[in-house]
Amino acid sequence: MAKRLLFAALLTAASLPAQYTFPQAQAFLKQYCEKCHQDQAPAGGFRLSRVADPASLTSDATKWLSLTNRVKNGEMPPKGAPAPPIDAKEKFGEFVQEAVHTAACATGVAPGRSLIRRLNRNEYAATVRDLLDMHMDLAKSFPTDGAGGEGFDNAAETLFLSPLHSEKYLEVAKFAVEFAAKEYKSRARIFVAKPGPGVTPDQAARKIFDVFLPRAFRRPVTEAETTPYIELFRAAQKQGETFDNAILFALRGVLVSPNFLFRVETPNLSSEPKPIDNYALASRLSYFLWGSMPDELLTDLAAKGKLQDPEVLRQIVRIMLRNDRSVDFAQSFVEQWLHTRELSGDKAPDAKLFPEFTKDEDLRSDIRYQPVLFFREVFLQNLSLTNFLDSKHSIGTSKLAKHFGLKLALRPNQTSQPHWIELPENSNRGGLLGMPAVLSVSSYPYRTSPVLRGAWVLESILGTPPPPPPANVPPLEEAPAGKAPGTMKERLAQHRNNAVCASCHSRIDPFGFALENYDVTGKWRTEDGGKPIDASAELLDGTRFDGPAEMRKVLMERKDLFVRHLTNKMLGYALGRGLNIKDSCTVDAIVAKVKQNNYRGQTLLEEIVLSVPFRQQAGTPPAKEPAKK
Amino acid sequence: MKPALSRRSVLKGAGVGLSLPWLEAMAATPSAKPPVRLAALYMPNGVNVDSWIPKGRGRDWELSKTLSPLESLKNQVTVVSNLWNANSKGGDGHYVKEAAILTCSTIKKTPGADIGNGVSVDQMAAQSVADQTPLPSLELGVTPVAIGVDAVVGYTRVYGSHIAWSNATTPLAREINPRSVYERLFRAASGQSNNSAKMDTLLLDRVMGDANRLRGQVGAADRIRIDEYMSLMRSLEQRVQRASAGTQRTWKARAPMDPKATPPEKPADHAEHVRLMMDMIATAFQTDTTRVATFMFGNAVSNVSFRFLEGVSAGHHDVSHHSKEADKLRQYQLINQWHIAQYAYLLQRLSEMKEGDSTVLDNSMVLFASALSDGNSHNPHRLPIVLGGRGGGRIDSGQHLVYTEDDPLANLYVSMLDAFGAPVERFADSTGPLAGLLKS
Repeated sequence: MAKRLLFAALLTAASLPAQYTFPQAQAFLKQYCEKCHQDQAPAGGFRLSRVADPASLTSDATKWLSLTNRVKNGEMPPKGAPAPPIDAKEKFGEFVQEAVHTAACATGVAPGRSLIRRLNRNEYAATVRDLLDMHMDLAKSFPTDGAGGEGFDNAAETLFLSPLHSEKYLEVAKFAVEFAAKEYKSRARIFVAKPGPGVTPDQAARKIFDVFLPRAFRRPVTEAETTPYIELFRAAQKQGETFDNAILFALRGVLVSPNFLFRVETPNLSSEPKPIDNYALASRLSYFLWGSMPDELLTDLAAKGKLQDPEVLRQIVRIMLRNDRSVDFAQSFVEQWLHTRELSGDKAPDAKLFPEFTKDEDLRSDIRYQPVLFFREVFLQNLSLTNFLDSKHSIGTSKLAKHFGLKLALRPNQTSQPHWIELPENSNRGGLLGMPAVLSVSSYPYRTSPVLRGAWVLESILGTPPPPPPANVPPLEEAPAGKAPGTMKERLAQHRNNAVCASCHSRIDPFGFALENYDVTGKWRTEDGGKPIDASAELLDGTRFDGPAEMRKVLMERKDLFVRHLTNKMLGYALGRGLNIKDSCTVDAIVAKVKQNNYRGQTLLEEIVLSVPFRQQAGTPPAKEPAKK
Repeated sequence: MKPALSRRSVLKGAGVGLSLPWLEAMAATPSAKPPVRLAALYMPNGVNVDSWIPKGRGRDWELSKTLSPLESLKNQVTVVSNLWNANSKGGDGHYVKEAAILTCSTIKKTPGADIGNGVSVDQMAAQSVADQTPLPSLELGVTPVAIGVDAVVGYTRVYGSHIAWSNATTPLAREINPRSVYERLFRAASGQSNNSAKMDTLLLDRVMGDANRLRGQVGAADRIRIDEYMSLMRSLEQRVQRASAGTQRTWKARAPMDPKATPPEKPADHAEHVRLMMDMIATAFQTDTTRVATFMFGNAVSNVSFRFLEGVSAGHHDVSHHSKEADKLRQYQLINQWHIAQYAYLLQRLSEMKEGDSTVLDNSMVLFASALSDGNSHNPHRLPIVLGGRGGGRIDSGQHLVYTEDDPLANLYVSMLDAFGAPVERFADSTGPLAGLLKS
């Protein structure tokens, strides 16, 4: 929500009109909406009187925000009715967002409800891997998961179940257990007891389940919950299966159980928010920073009740980051935040135009992992988050050095392994925007596009996505028929001569222009189509820059926007849901701490883990049977 | 009806590896009326309108340039012109249109929390025959679900990646790996040994007990998720039983599957990928592993590069915004025609699959549709639609049917559901059946 606040502020030098007031907002509504939204039978059932009182900013906040969104996106006023000028729309929008936000935060922060969610395919694969202690990536057996909330595939609301999932669960469970049965380490994990003198098969089975089930369900398990699996074991034995095979059969059942497949938190049946239980907190931590189940240390701390201690939580964050599993977190977060996951699909540079890129699998892999490993290092080394905007360091390999045309100070003997390096002076490779992964994914496969790249910077870096294009105004990127195409820049200039287009494109394009020195694969270039690159640009507020280096300085001046956006993304990812107005108050508090602490990466993670929404859940009244309609 | 002998001769091609239940199935195939199948193929980004619309109407018509790959199948297709999808008006240019192509409903604008659409026509059909085949339906595609939320328009990209919806809040996951589809079909068609099915049933039964206990412990909203899980597991249990080799087996394959025809896991290119998926639909329909399939050539706003086509230099969505430039329109048409050629390939394959005196195509309805007419203007009026096959003899094919601009797309679905054997009074905003489509 709050991330949309500042689209205009960004480009008009943060010059919010001195005092936009509630009466002014009312005047705006009166002027543009009153005609249809005030009678006895108002259009869409919405009457302006509903939002006439300042108190409605709190009591009817959702209405305020949805109407503002419709105005901002040009859905309202409808076609044919007089439309407000874009700056009047924006001033109105900013006022509403800010006013609603202030009203919501006046009553303090609050957690959301705990939502049951299934493990997404990557979490499932990692959890089976850790549970059975085996190295086998099962993720590809499942369909890809869509994303919701803040744009991640771990959002509870968009983790749907299809018949396909049910088949795959049954099938993959069998495959995984059979695979584990052949691995020494996995067998040792599973078979912690054996029948023998004085130990009946049933007793041994129970011992095995007493260890396995709490790991699989990520919490202590009652005797009643163990029973179905003992029954499965017995049924298999009755069929003549050996002890081992009967155990493995029951484990297949465990892997299909909703207690394994879903993350479930004990519901809070009171009406007040309260802390989630220790084991749920251990799972929140492990799925946030590892994308997998809690390990023994986390489980042990949960059992001892120590996870509620803020100091322990701070330490745990650092310990978890050092674990290799945090690479999974980095990959999952970064590739969705920056969209670089699409590099292996439609967005990959065209094979015929860029054969040197397509054919070199090592180079493509280095490119793909560069932002992921850079991200992990920034947090691991507790560096400033501004390194994402500009940095003296990066991740290098010999292939990347060649791709960049730079001499990089690589570690001897390790030049093919991606690692942390210091960049040479004027390398033009500092920060995310010097990385080929980002530059490719924000291009067409066959050419660069200042519009796509500019929009990418606004959305992914600054968190201020441009408004949608008005209906029936197609992109205008090619030369008009019969006219020789000029440079991309000349063509886009036409765009901005058209007033409708200009209102947005004069904001979107500049950052894209400055990145024109990079080709589709992120290689440095000084000309395109025989013409020299013109990487100069001017923002609406008159800020001028020429080329990526100067652009980075401009972005650095806007680092607070970036940090707020990253905080929104990270909190949404950590909670696995979309953020609401109340969450934006938490974001305020986290951003303030991060700034206080010199923008250090670990502060962001610690403050998220310590935050109210991460550690608590809202109350929900006890479930009733569905009411009759 | 074919004698048993010729069925066996088909079997010869099936190679080794077929287990006994197969032979049983073949020998026992009843001579009952062949089932009706329904598939929907969805193409993103609309069409070059001028090259799409056929000349003439009724039985006196000519295929357009874009539709020319259907030449040899002209009598077996029906081109349906001018329908519109009123509920997909407004919202944004793509998600609202594309998610509604089979639902004729208005999706809820959301990054995810309160996703909402209608039930899609394919799922209405699938639900009516769910107890008759090993798989309820097939959802296929060639590109993964688009990631993220479209922050510009405020819709989760889940919408643009799913056309099959089993209920208002559940889009169905798609498979994009041809080998895994083939294996799934093969497994479903061959069924399991009696004992293995019995054990799977037992396993699911006990797990269900576990789920039920959990159900009692969670809040109301979470209970819905557990209920979904339980209903899926229960229907899986039933399917395991139905396809098991023993006496419980009520389903028989109508044709054998070649266990050696396993497709590659990674197709060489987009074109091969699409072809393989067409093959999967054909195989599924021929064997009767399922009677309902949907296929997405791409997600909403797909910008798959079509540079592999001679004369095309850009991506799909890019070209669809042609700004009336001649060169882009030309490329747009080539891309459209390529899609029709893939569609024709599927129809051709189905038409070569004999089924008694008829063919599988005769007993199918294979819809080809885009959710926009001109991609340049995102208009859900005058949708480009072709219906292949005769729906078990119900469809009066070989026509170009031209309606008025106000006739709803949903009327087509009312008639298709009727031909499928799952008649409905209404579907979304339908006003009745589509006049002239079904034989009177």
